[in-house]
Amino acid sequence: MHSEFNLPKIPDDLLVDPVPNWKELLKDSSKWHSIPILNYTPLHKLKDQTLVRFRGMIQDMMDPEIYLERYEVKSSDASSKRLQQGKYRDCLRVKQGEEIDYQAEANVHGERRTLFVVSIPGLNDWTKQHEKECSPIQELATESQNVNQAKKRAATEQNDQEHMDVDETEAGPLKKQCVEELQTVAKGAASTGLAKDYLLNSPLPSRPSMACMVKVYEDFDSYQLNTLVDFVGFLSVDPALDASSLDMEALNDMESLSELQAANPSPFLIPRLHAFGVQRLPHANPLLDQSLLQSNEEAIASPDVIHKDLRILLKLCLFDDDLAAEYMLCHLISTVYSRSEMQSIGKFTLNICNLPKECLEHYTTKLYQILELLLPASHYLAMSLDTMNTSAFAPKKDYETNKLVSGLLQLAPHTHLVLDETRLQQGKLEANGVQAIQHLAHLINNQQLKCDFHFYHIDYNADIPVLILSEGRSMLPNDFAVPLNADSKAVELVEESLKAAHHYLSQNGRLQLFRKYLTLARISQFTVSEEHTEMIQQDFVDMRKANVKSNADDLHGLLVLSRLLGIARGKDSLDKETWQLATEFEAKRRQRLQSLPKSAAQLRN
Amino acid sequence: MARRDYAQDRESIKTFLSEYCKCDDDGKKEFVYGSQLVKLAHREQVMMTIDLDHLAEFNESLAEAVIDNCRRYAAIFSDVIAELLPSYKQQEVHAKDALDVYIEHRLLMDARTRNPMEQRDERNSFPSELMKRFEVGFKPLSTEKANSIREVKAQHIGKLVTVRGIVTRCTEVKPMMVVATYTCDRCGSETYQPVNSLSFIPVSDCPSDDCRVNKAGGRLYLQTRGSKFVKFQELKMQEHSDQVPVGHIPRSMTVLCRGEVTRMAQPGDHVLISGVFLPMVRTGFAQMMQGLLSETFLQAHRIICINKNDEISDKSAELTPDELEELAQDDFYERLATSLAPEIYGHLDVKKALLLLLVGGVDKRPDGMKIRGNINICLMGDPGVAKSQLLGYISRLAVRSQYTTGRGSSGVGLTAAVMKDPLTGEMTLEGGALVLADQGVCCIDEFDKMADTDRTAIHEVMEQQTISIAKAGIMTTLNARVSILAAANPAFGRYNPRRTVEQNIQLPAALLSRFDLLWLIQDKPDRDNDLRLAKHITYVHSHSKQPPSRVKALDMNLMRRYINLCRRKNPTIPDELTDYIVGAYVELRREARNQKDMTFTSARNLLGILRLSTALARLRLSDHVEKDDVAEALRLLEMSKDSLNQIHEHQKGHVPNTSDRIFAIVRELAGSGQAVKISDVMDRCTTKGFKPDQVDKCISDYEELNVWQVNMGHTKITFL
Repeated sequence: MHSEFNLPKIPDDLLVDPVPNWKELLKDSSKWHSIPILNYTPLHKLKDQTLVRFRGMIQDMMDPEIYLERYEVKSSDASSKRLQQGKYRDCLRVKQGEEIDYQAEANVHGERRTLFVVSIPGLNDWTKQHEKECSPIQELATESQNVNQAKKRAATEQNDQEHMDVDETEAGPLKKQCVEELQTVAKGAASTGLAKDYLLNSPLPSRPSMACMVKVYEDFDSYQLNTLVDFVGFLSVDPALDASSLDMEALNDMESLSELQAANPSPFLIPRLHAFGVQRLPHANPLLDQSLLQSNEEAIASPDVIHKDLRILLKLCLFDDDLAAEYMLCHLISTVYSRSEMQSIGKFTLNICNLPKECLEHYTTKLYQILELLLPASHYLAMSLDTMNTSAFAPKKDYETNKLVSGLLQLAPHTHLVLDETRLQQGKLEANGVQAIQHLAHLINNQQLKCDFHFYHIDYNADIPVLILSEGRSMLPNDFAVPLNADSKAVELVEESLKAAHHYLSQNGRLQLFRKYLTLARISQFTVSEEHTEMIQQDFVDMRKANVKSNADDLHGLLVLSRLLGIARGKDSLDKETWQLATEFEAKRRQRLQSLPKSAAQLRN
Repeated sequence: MARRDYAQDRESIKTFLSEYCKCDDDGKKEFVYGSQLVKLAHREQVMMTIDLDHLAEFNESLAEAVIDNCRRYAAIFSDVIAELLPSYKQQEVHAKDALDVYIEHRLLMDARTRNPMEQRDERNSFPSELMKRFEVGFKPLSTEKANSIREVKAQHIGKLVTVRGIVTRCTEVKPMMVVATYTCDRCGSETYQPVNSLSFIPVSDCPSDDCRVNKAGGRLYLQTRGSKFVKFQELKMQEHSDQVPVGHIPRSMTVLCRGEVTRMAQPGDHVLISGVFLPMVRTGFAQMMQGLLSETFLQAHRIICINKNDEISDKSAELTPDELEELAQDDFYERLATSLAPEIYGHLDVKKALLLLLVGGVDKRPDGMKIRGNINICLMGDPGVAKSQLLGYISRLAVRSQYTTGRGSSGVGLTAAVMKDPLTGEMTLEGGALVLADQGVCCIDEFDKMADTDRTAIHEVMEQQTISIAKAGIMTTLNARVSILAAANPAFGRYNPRRTVEQNIQLPAALLSRFDLLWLIQDKPDRDNDLRLAKHITYVHSHSKQPPSRVKALDMNLMRRYINLCRRKNPTIPDELTDYIVGAYVELRREARNQKDMTFTSARNLLGILRLSTALARLRLSDHVEKDDVAEALRLLEMSKDSLNQIHEHQKGHVPNTSDRIFAIVRELAGSGQAVKISDVMDRCTTKGFKPDQVDKCISDYEELNVWQVNMGHTKITFL
């Protein structure tokens, strides 16, 4: 039915003897990207049991399931018996007049896990667009397919047809059925106890993500919360999986009803995927993803050139402030590269403060528009009192439904969070708001997300670079506060500058270069040699002598800054020049902080 | 594995139950199960718990078989007990409830009407479940370790396992039918149907001979009075946070409780549950849809709340001999202290104090007067001296802890709130930070920034260890047995030596005196220290890990368990130490009067000394406080005072070295006399915060200077 170069078409293809080495096959990235991406394919275009991929972030993990890996089916008159495979499937395959023999010796039980995966929260439009273009189904839909693929598709359909004939009892929902079902789901969602939004559980409610329940069969412990994964497996959208339309009276156990409903949402709302291939994604940038179809011919231009260009761009956006542009660039490529019991090293929470009052109103959103174009995933949060008091920030366990209800801080690694403190008004911060601030502070200080399990909290490691835009110094903790030094001319011209920035980006394919550069810089390695270590140590001792107030945190800051400055310039180890640059920048920054107008609280000190 | 001979096992169980005995202190034999059987027979006891330790002692392979195939053996035990019971009946038993009366009546009637030779329909005879008025449960071997939920896997199905976790949800206790009794509307005969699963299909046609032969088509009606019900409760338990691997979601498990094990736990309880791990047969939707899936549950045999009962601990929390040996080294006190926040250099005395805070003093005196045992500590210091790191570390190390900052917490966060239940409209009390950390540590950063109203609540917590709430017409007092660890910044940015402590922190003296120890952590530039710090930080940055240190820091988990172990000790202060303590206290007071001390000494200090010394005794896992403990407590107190006063001394520009200061003490002690006993010197010096080796050094230093002479026995100093 298949040659060894083809991908499996139905779950049973994976279970033939000897088990084909699919993992090897999937290492070939062209095979990987020939599979339609569920994220970007309308569900009604996919059949039950077809091979699909899903890219997303692990949002929740459910308890293990024990299922029948192999089971015996006997006809009701006990005349015949046959074995059926249960792996990679949700439903029993029993024909009319047959029943399953639960007591059969040949039954084999297996264990599998369900992961609740949501499409990467905060993914920016260009990223989505790019990924969408890479999904093969999309090409078919737009009728622009090449002949080769058309043939292949036809063959697939034929195969499927055959397969249906063989397995006639199997509930293979055809397109029509799906469409109908979708409509009923829309209606049904309103009538059942659990709302659609609740089931989908998007971390960012304003930017809903797609959800998928992925069943995995091996390496259970290797999956971690909030990490990015790309799964390949079989889609399962049998309408029988839906518990939302359940007859309440038929169920005497009312207490577990909502839990049951939450665990079995309509498959047309949240499809199931039985995964056999997994790829962990180190970043969300599709331009650097081998498994996505792309023209990868042009080699990255010299990082030095890009670095200069990018600085020019950032300078344009930041009122012609060179220092702020340097810090911003460091922030954009920062990542937590080491963790010890108490510290997360490499975090670079930046506070751009002293924004000119004249252009507060539109500037922050416009600045974010530029950042959005550069980063694969980011989120802009206007810290208004209302948002702080009402939004869910950290995930919280709901024991009624046994779900981890997401919060807007549950973001994938390297998703930039931009906090706009200029939107904060005077007023009362309610309990939720106080907690929200605490969660933000905890995230900034430790790069950890505190999930509320009611009886206790668990910290999950996060890697979310935070940028705070504020008028004065931010009320939130931060690693580097950079007051803007905007001259009046630049303030006047800010509208034009931002327009120019957009224009600048569109030239010479700079945008794509910048996007690649930023991600590459983030994942590159950097070392500090022994000799430079000693120089740094000596510098610190001198620094302490000169200024008693300097402390360990300052040294941490300097080390991180020099590392990022070095990486930005395309270096792979620290040199004296970079170190001096870092100390110089820090000195300048301190000077600016000193000259800021003092608040009453600071004056007291 | 060979199949077990169940008939033989049955016999040995019978022997075990009737013959197993333990010798008590007087050498008398006590039949553990025999006596229980008598109680069961008289309906004075319902639950029969078989201790597998006893069974293993009696027949080891049988005990193993019970663990492996628990459900079956529970049934065998139950049958054997039912068989044995009549012979243990010593007197007529009064009927306790309707079912007893019912059974009695049926038995009498049965005996009267039936021909003993007559063959009877299986269904019409009394099922044994109906007659049994007792339950059987197993107590796991004491060597059995408690598993976490994620360690219970498919291979444990059918076995007796023990899991540790926290109860997240429990249903109401409901009656569950064990035996359904029906009466026929035609022939009047009774039919019994034992129910084993969560649901059953009622029988409707009468199976009795009369109806069947006559084809009368008798209908059966369920009779509630004659059916047997047991209490039934479903619990959900979840892993505790320390059992969850990094980056994973806590796992949960369903626990079914029947009969006497119901109502043992409530949501939020830390529990140890032993039970049989079984697959569940679901009906209805679940079966229809998930024919492929089978759920699992734990049939509870024994539930223990760990938080309510400190005596019974689970095995996994105890220390292995290897670990004990590692801890039992000479310098364990120092090692434990340095292992607190190992990345923060120095501050050994502060760390020691924090260690004692974690261990805590003894709560109650033997004479019944209630005195707080929790130790409160306040850390003061210039910004950026790692106070927050210390607090953060402690709150992570302590089993129950709460970390808040004085600024970021509103009234609700630090006290308790009255809430209205949206469903029932009931008013409920919801504890805030302090109440939740009952029996734990409450770390408050930026204590000086805290609102006055919240601080008033702290007053009560710190001394009375309770918290009073008067809101929305509800007046109540909740327990808040917490240790407070506060950190405060000086009011003027940096500590100003020219002002007093109160002025520097702007906290009222009433509050400050409630802290057992106040530490001022200073930040002085010091080349060696700075270089060491720089080395440490650069190492972390370039190697992405902690540098290897000379003293290996103890693992956090080990520390946690050791501290737990310590907390279980309740050392007492022997009478002979009283004089010593009183003397030291009087001395403290006198000194405070003489020197114009920047700190204050009050009766609270005396209690503080007692608390610290009992905590020290606990740390040694000892039942008695020794003189050394008191000396160390005094030393810590002195050092904490020193940390406050030192800065003032610097101001004077004259720093007497330790030897000089000890010499002054000796001089004073000698008074007009020429000779002093060394033991007296030692006592006095240790109360003032000097270490014995410092005293020894001083003695030998001054002997070399020919100031005094030490006799041969090294007991006496004579001035020359």
